[in-house]
Amino acid sequence: MSTAEYWAELVTVALLGTDRREPPAPPPGGFADLAADLQPGATAAGLAQQVAAVAAVRRAAFTPGAPADVLQPPAADVRPVTSPAACAAWQKVVADWPVVEDEWLLAVVRGGWRLSPELVVPLLARHRGDEVRHARVRVAAGPLGEWMVDWSPPLGRTSRKALPPEELAARLAHLPDLPITPDLAPLVERIGPEGAREVAAALAGGLSNGSLTVANRAVLVNLCARLHRSVLRPVAAALLRVDPSRPSIGLALALADLLSLRALLLDQLEPE
Amino acid sequence: MTAVSDESVVRWQVEQVHALAPTPASLIAAQPVAVPARWSHTGYDERGLWGRCSGGASEPYEVVVDHVGVGFRCSCPSRRHPCKHALALLLLWVRGQVPPGAAGGGAATWLAGRAAAVAAAAAAAAGPAGPAPASAAPSQPAPPSSPGAGSGTAPAEGGPADAPAEAPPAPPPSEPQRPGDDRVARMAAGLAELERWIDDRMRTGLADPALARYATWDQLAARLVDAQAGAMANRVRRLAGQVGSGPQWHEHVLAELGLLHLLAVAGRHLGHLPPGLGDAVAAAVGWQVRQADVLAGVPDTDRWVVLGRSDTREDRIEVRRIWLRGATTGRWAMVLSFAAYQQRLDESFEVGASFEGDVFRYPGASRLRVLVGRRSDTLPFPADVPWAGQPLAAACDEVGAVLAAEPWLDRVPLCAVAQVARAGGRWVLADPTGTLPLVAGPGVGTLLACTAAGPLPVTAEWTPRGLVPLAVQLADRVVDIGPQVDPSFVGAA
Repeated sequence: MSTAEYWAELVTVALLGTDRREPPAPPPGGFADLAADLQPGATAAGLAQQVAAVAAVRRAAFTPGAPADVLQPPAADVRPVTSPAACAAWQKVVADWPVVEDEWLLAVVRGGWRLSPELVVPLLARHRGDEVRHARVRVAAGPLGEWMVDWSPPLGRTSRKALPPEELAARLAHLPDLPITPDLAPLVERIGPEGAREVAAALAGGLSNGSLTVANRAVLVNLCARLHRSVLRPVAAALLRVDPSRPSIGLALALADLLSLRALLLDQLEPE
Repeated sequence: MTAVSDESVVRWQVEQVHALAPTPASLIAAQPVAVPARWSHTGYDERGLWGRCSGGASEPYEVVVDHVGVGFRCSCPSRRHPCKHALALLLLWVRGQVPPGAAGGGAATWLAGRAAAVAAAAAAAAGPAGPAPASAAPSQPAPPSSPGAGSGTAPAEGGPADAPAEAPPAPPPSEPQRPGDDRVARMAAGLAELERWIDDRMRTGLADPALARYATWDQLAARLVDAQAGAMANRVRRLAGQVGSGPQWHEHVLAELGLLHLLAVAGRHLGHLPPGLGDAVAAAVGWQVRQADVLAGVPDTDRWVVLGRSDTREDRIEVRRIWLRGATTGRWAMVLSFAAYQQRLDESFEVGASFEGDVFRYPGASRLRVLVGRRSDTLPFPADVPWAGQPLAAACDEVGAVLAAEPWLDRVPLCAVAQVARAGGRWVLADPTGTLPLVAGPGVGTLLACTAAGPLPVTAEWTPRGLVPLAVQLADRVVDIGPQVDPSFVGAA
């Protein structure tokens, strides 16, 4: 009797209990020697002892199973992979500023990158309920994304409603609109040093004089998520100079962090 | 008391010192202290030995040992008896590194008091016309019956009436019972109860509906907690969650019950186990080892590569395991950190980085758990390590060796160059030498994406249910894919 067969017998007896079935005789060798030391009549203790011995032996005799056929790899993707720094930026985006995740993904696609493999599964899983974002992830992931969905269907899209191909293609290439109040909306169009000064005056000035407060946070976050990249760093610098004694200093610092993150991710993925 | 010649004192053997150690860990902790450089004002006479040991405190510890009546006194705060300082002083003495001399001050007073108490006890036992006290002649102490006894006294076998003329005297009546004795007795009783409980399960069978009720297990776990066998209680509670958890649950539960039986039996016979195994069993059943004792050991110095991280929730505690591997020696080491609700886990180890430094190993058989001592700034992953590129079969040999030493371990690290494949309807780690099943989880998908059907160096944890992938080494970095802590549970880093 092999150790595996003996173990199977022990499992059967343990399921039924020694009140109903006698334990099997151990195979000759160490297990039998161990059983011989047991006091007569100690049936349950003997079963526990044999189970312990066989379990220990099975663990120590840890060996690989039979070889398996290797998987067919995904098609080659010649695009460069996103850098570790860009992956770290995505982690920060997801943790702190998910409002710019669309921009991060779009920058990956526009910059000609392919997703680093460790991001493929979390991104596919994260956006499987959103057709546009899921499609954008699959574009960024390339053949690896398709291959992963084939091997792991739960990573596929869950939404049943499908957009027409033209509309999907159009939405893939553009950032979704975010609600911004009409008085602040024109700031999105400002570019260059002059535009940066205007945006900085509006935001830093508003937070300093109290015309903008934490009550405006959602709109200000949306605004900062859509400002032109040429104004990001100057506006962030202006926000960092807001008087620390002002009530809105926390919001100013948060917005500066968002703008700095956007500037960083765009520099990483779409260098000018 | 006057100085004595060496011939008038019967010097102990090192085995007698070993037998007095309350736990194997105490003896290990005593070794680095047993060096003359750490001692001053040492001496011995026909009754005792004494010295001052410089340790972590600002003032040296005053240590006195009665080598005749077998008693110890040390100004250190340790609750172990004898403490490592007393054991170290005895070790120095048996090696001939303590000079003869005359006790002074507190040492002389304490030794004289013990001698008087022993003489009075012997006189009372012998009656008014009895013989001279046995303690008048130098004697050899008998080793205690079990390392857990920890009383610091050595009862003679057969009782006082059968004791030979040179048998050690009875302990002074004023010597209180040490708290450790209670604990040993409680733990032994708890382990005996666990053994009986397992026997009952074997008798009634795993199909008994009572096993499906959590209370069945929780009551046992509560009694083990009362018996101060907390580690065993945790295992019992974890086991409760496995009942009915899958088609093979009977097999998993049975194997774990067998290992609990093994630990229960071994835990009640710690004194009969070899030192390393005894320490491993002691730790597995719930004995704690003080960090100071671990840090007093000999460091293991190497360039340590952080190969993996694994977070698990155990009861109401989040546990983080950091797996290190020596670039030169290939030896594994595990750093544990714990966090209760809103506490922080150790974030100082980055998977894929390395550092030059010392690790101090906890006592045990496999000695995986360590404390990190001196460490350099973070260094990159070393370019060429001798253990890189090993196949699965070689990794299995390493795991098997660890499990042969401590079969009750839940997790053992391994690293191998392998790829992900399908076998038997589940994901496996595969190479030409064979396959190992992977535990389903988010790490498997990421591992599959990273390897993309090609072989890469992978770090994983062996568990009884399969491998948990922890990290995969890409061309330019190591990706941490180990199980993550619930961020809402721990505090912000």
